[in-house]
Amino acid sequence: MDIWRVVDELVCTRRVPGLGAASLRVLRGQKGEISVATDPVGVPAGKWVFTTVGSAARLAMPDPTTQTDLTICGIIDQWEEE
Amino acid sequence: MKIMRVEKTLVSTNRIDAFGHRPLLVVQDKPGGPRSVAVDAVGCIPGDWVICVGSSAAREAAGSKDYPSDLTIVGIIDHWNPEAA
Repeated sequence: MDIWRVVDELVCTRRVPGLGAASLRVLRGQKGEISVATDPVGVPAGKWVFTTVGSAARLAMPDPTTQTDLTICGIIDQWEEE
Repeated sequence: MKIMRVEKTLVSTNRIDAFGHRPLLVVQDKPGGPRSVAVDAVGCIPGDWVICVGSSAAREAAGSKDYPSDLTIVGIIDHWNPEAA
């Protein structure tokens, strides 16, 4: 699982049906890279989170048929950036 | 499988139900390298050199085929010299 910081919510009204009503977040990684993840937790911006990739990302969603490849699994209680 | 070093435990109170209460650890490829989070299926302590599996093996090793892990610790290396590798 990778460690990211939540930058913001992502609003995306027009989407494939397979994505359902999944909440989306913009994430910034440890090297500054930007990605988008589905969010079953409901994380506010600024929090550090860890994510799972690939088919495990679909299992992490309440509905495993959701077409995602990156899902937030939990909020990290305390994290010091280096 | 990847050889990684356990740095510390990761505390995450607010997590999805599918993760249960499994221990999570922060692991590194090499000291100072990028850090990842792994599910601990063995019971290791900070400082241990461990082997980690990814993809569907990570899910099964963490307990079940439906467990949403993409990195799971499956063994502790008895002796490892990072300079020699």
